[in-house]
Amino acid sequence: MMEVKDIVDINTIKTNINVKSKEEAIHELAGVLLQNEYITNVEAFVEDIYAREAVGQTGIGNYIAIPHGNSHSVKKIGVAIGITKEEIPWETLDGKGVKGIILFAVGKENDGAQQHLKLLSLFARKLGNDEVVEKMLQSADAEDVKEALCN
Amino acid sequence: MKIVGVAACTVGIAHTYIAQEKLENAGKKAGHDIHIETQGTIGTENELTQKQIDEADIVILAADVKIAGRERFEGKRIIQVKTETAVKSPNKLIEKAAEVVK
Repeated sequence: MMEVKDIVDINTIKTNINVKSKEEAIHELAGVLLQNEYITNVEAFVEDIYAREAVGQTGIGNYIAIPHGNSHSVKKIGVAIGITKEEIPWETLDGKGVKGIILFAVGKENDGAQQHLKLLSLFARKLGNDEVVEKMLQSADAEDVKEALCN
Repeated sequence: MKIVGVAACTVGIAHTYIAQEKLENAGKKAGHDIHIETQGTIGTENELTQKQIDEADIVILAADVKIAGRERFEGKRIIQVKTETAVKSPNKLIEKAAEVVK
């Protein structure tokens, strides 16, 4: 059976990241996606992420932001997760800043990717759960983050 | 009370499912029977049955795009909001639904 843990890659989870802005956070996490071969090009990917940012807030409250979008530069569906050292400014639904950033990488053509999209939807649901989010934000390392999301 | 609903956001990757989770949790917490269908990139999931729709006291549509099969809810009491509202204030939305039904 498919489970959320199958889409949470320990190599794309970064805790204690030292970023001061939304821009820095998105670039940092896009870099992580590039290193781990989820995307082919940081600039093109970030541009597509910002296209979605322009449509509406991706700060969902509870210190969480979920920048996402469809990009040709994505070769493998996945997520990068960053927990910041300090709260950073972001446009959010509750007016607070953000400490946990989940950057979704999804392609434009998703033929044959149904299974991964399904996993991504299960993953997104987790972010709608206050307890999961709280635990995730308190994580000291990538293992803790994965555990918070996969339990 | 019995609640059915649909969640659908612009990209269909994230907000749809977060809204579903938040609404279902808020509904259950308040003691209601709740089913939220999702219409996302992956297609329709958790599709509502005709029986669920027939029995529902109210319909919550949390959608940023035109939903498929809206005619299924014809004649029912409907609350329509953006997915943002369901994500931001799920408890308030459920409370409002309860008031409408009263």
